[in-house]
Amino acid sequence: MTIFMQSLISGILIGGVYALIGIGMTIIFGVMRVINFAHGDLLMLGMYGTFYLFTLFNIDPFISIVVIIPLMFLYGGFLQKMFINRILGTLPQNQILLTIGLGLVMSNSVMLAFTSDYKILSTSYSSSSFDILGISISTPLLISFAITAVITVALYWFLLKTDTGQAIRATAQDREAAQLMGINVKRMSIIAFGLGASLAGAAGALISPTYYIFPQVGSTFTLKAFVITVLGGMGSIVGATLSGILIGVAESIGGVYFGAGWKEVVVFVLFLLVLLLKPSGLMGKSNV
Amino acid sequence: MKPLFKNIGVLPAMAGLVVIVLLFLLPRFVESTYALHIMILIFISIVMGSSWNLLGGYTGQYSVGHCAYFGMGAYTTMMLMQFRQVPPWLGIWVGMAVALLVALIIGSICFRLRGPYFVLASIAVAEIFRVSALNLKDLTNGAEGILATDIPPLKIGGTIITDFSSKVPFYYTGLVFVLLVILVTWLLQNSKLGYYFQAIREDQDAAHSLGISLTIYKNVALSISAVLTSLAGSLYAVYVGFIDPSTVLALDLSVQIVLICIIGGIGTIFGPVIGALVLVPLSEALRSNVIGESLINSGVVSADSAFGGFLTENLSHAHVLIYGVLVVVVILFMPDGVLGFAKKLAFGKRKEAA
Amino acid sequence: MPILEIKHISKFFGGLSANSDVSFEIGHGMIMGLIGPNGAGKTTLFNCITGYYPPSRGDVVFDGRSMHGLQPDKVCKLGMARTWQKVRPLAGMSVVDNVMVGALCRTNSLKKARDMAMEQIMVVGLGHRSGFLAGGLPIGERKKLEVARVLATQPKLLLLDEVMGGLNPAESEELIQLILAIKNLGITQMVIEHDMKAIMRISDRIVVLNSGEKLAEGTPREIVGNPYVVAAYLGSE
Repeated sequence: MTIFMQSLISGILIGGVYALIGIGMTIIFGVMRVINFAHGDLLMLGMYGTFYLFTLFNIDPFISIVVIIPLMFLYGGFLQKMFINRILGTLPQNQILLTIGLGLVMSNSVMLAFTSDYKILSTSYSSSSFDILGISISTPLLISFAITAVITVALYWFLLKTDTGQAIRATAQDREAAQLMGINVKRMSIIAFGLGASLAGAAGALISPTYYIFPQVGSTFTLKAFVITVLGGMGSIVGATLSGILIGVAESIGGVYFGAGWKEVVVFVLFLLVLLLKPSGLMGKSNV
Repeated sequence: MKPLFKNIGVLPAMAGLVVIVLLFLLPRFVESTYALHIMILIFISIVMGSSWNLLGGYTGQYSVGHCAYFGMGAYTTMMLMQFRQVPPWLGIWVGMAVALLVALIIGSICFRLRGPYFVLASIAVAEIFRVSALNLKDLTNGAEGILATDIPPLKIGGTIITDFSSKVPFYYTGLVFVLLVILVTWLLQNSKLGYYFQAIREDQDAAHSLGISLTIYKNVALSISAVLTSLAGSLYAVYVGFIDPSTVLALDLSVQIVLICIIGGIGTIFGPVIGALVLVPLSEALRSNVIGESLINSGVVSADSAFGGFLTENLSHAHVLIYGVLVVVVILFMPDGVLGFAKKLAFGKRKEAA
Repeated sequence: MPILEIKHISKFFGGLSANSDVSFEIGHGMIMGLIGPNGAGKTTLFNCITGYYPPSRGDVVFDGRSMHGLQPDKVCKLGMARTWQKVRPLAGMSVVDNVMVGALCRTNSLKKARDMAMEQIMVVGLGHRSGFLAGGLPIGERKKLEVARVLATQPKLLLLDEVMGGLNPAESEELIQLILAIKNLGITQMVIEHDMKAIMRISDRIVVLNSGEKLAEGTPREIVGNPYVVAAYLGSE
């Protein structure tokens, strides 16, 4: 039972970060109907940014998100303006390939610049943990979960209460109608991609104390982001939040009971089952 | 034979025949093993691209998990050869059978989905195979991969046809495979099956209403495509002599397969050929660092300078970067591939002239 | 025996009913008009009949055979073909290739299919366009292409979903003549149409749907005189 509780707790903690990744992707999908295959690579950029902020300027990884989030927002907006906006009306497969291409460019540019060596960001608290009721909780994971929660709440507030947020949600619901209502759809797309990128970057910063950092780290997270997005219902933020945590838990418990090597298989099988049984996702049709 | 060739003009048919004869004679005149090596890689790429093209280009089902079938061929042939002493020319058939079986299973799952959902499912299935190959260490050697020690000589009766000590037998195998996939593509294009595949690509619902069973024909397309892809995988495995999950079952490989077609132009017989002719030499030039070396040798960059060191150290890793840049450029500026782009250019010029 | 019997068909989407308890029959060789205000459930009924949606309740009997659980391709093979309200040309294929896809439903030989296709292309009057890409045709010719394509599947019953929608009067008249010509070939037709004049001219009988239910059925003359029908149309406009 302790083992179960232990893996449940750590699953929920890591699931918070997954939720962040999934929310970013689901916003991009909701507004543009584009599946972003470069999402994990955006996260990878966040990891490298955090790593160098830490090693060069001694900025704590959890503080560095203050820098990473706006930077990644600008970068995401740039990608949208320069590339994605040009292919919005075309075949979905072309959109997929374009984002795959952008991802390859990002990961391989990083590899050229910083080599493919694994980097480790070790802070004083990287491997520290404390016990509650016999369950050990990793300090960095707990902190990152707390920050994730704050970011998610802020995001919900932005989307629900601000004019821009409502315009984004309107665009996600019906692009044409939004355009007719005088919403600048292209601008909303840029903001949406910027948001998605900054969430991915923030997730990268938050996990950098606990993960290896290398140029190809993104692809695993891209795949996870798909699973989360589809599971939550493409375009649903609430769905992505919940299914991010669900995936964290499934991985963690699957890893304990099937062996660490098989935990990804557990996730993908779950993914296929949902695709087949309920393609609209666990959360049904609810939109952004 | 007459009706078979009625759709081809006499001139292109002659030109094609000449090219084929020249390709068969090539190893007699070319001594360079490196040139043969490049040709073999081009052949393998054409086979994977053309096989994918049948499903992605003609039937419109964008599988981004084709490494699964490549890997099935590679692993089956290699495991039989290394662990069961089954020669590769027999193992290849088993590889094809396994790929067919896998295709039918994957098809029955993934074809219930459409568009982006199908793409995602195809990736997920391929990933399941990769992770399984990593974890089933007793069967596949896991992450260590399988290294071929030696290939048994091919004998017919008592005479040894070849002992696989040179690249020539691989060259001919590759060439025959290429001719096979091109023939299959051509036959399909001129058959009921080909019409049905294209109808499904153009509009699934309309095709369905015209008496086309989507389940049957999508699975037929996938099966043909998977079996031919496994040929490329088997040839690759035996030729290179080493496989592991991160080379023959990786997402990168699936992307590369799609890329060969996109660059050349999908849904055309020669698109994948063009794609392979562009991609393979380019990535080989980068991998073997011809570009970096020539920059240094020509004196433009000093070998001792930091930039020279950077070039020799890292540029060989850049071939994937070039893939990325190519995808972006092709999608943004020539969505119909190089062939389509060339056609458009030619057509535009003709228009101007008129 | 009627060629098509629609027996108590109901179709629900979530809690909404698009069709509820619709029943009627179509006799051999006739033209049945299907009319009703927007959202009356006409296209949904077509989709239920041709296997695109499984009906929530009820059954469709075609040529004495229940269509229960049959996929659209099977329905087409049995001799019931439909066109689409929003035309669906196979845009990247030529006109003749489009029609050949239909003809291949009945033959495995490309040569035979080509001959059959050319025949139907002549029937609808697209002979001068046979080599053109289907995606490049103007709307009137796309509608004709759609008719040629379903004719090539050699149907016994043809379901036409607003083949005159979006056409100018001259083009509409051509299609009316085409529908009458198809009737002379002995093919039964069910036609959804908004153009009242046209539907009154061509139909032998008419069924009126309103809010998913059958409001009335009868000859064109009976329908025009039916006060409920008049009210439904006036009420909806």
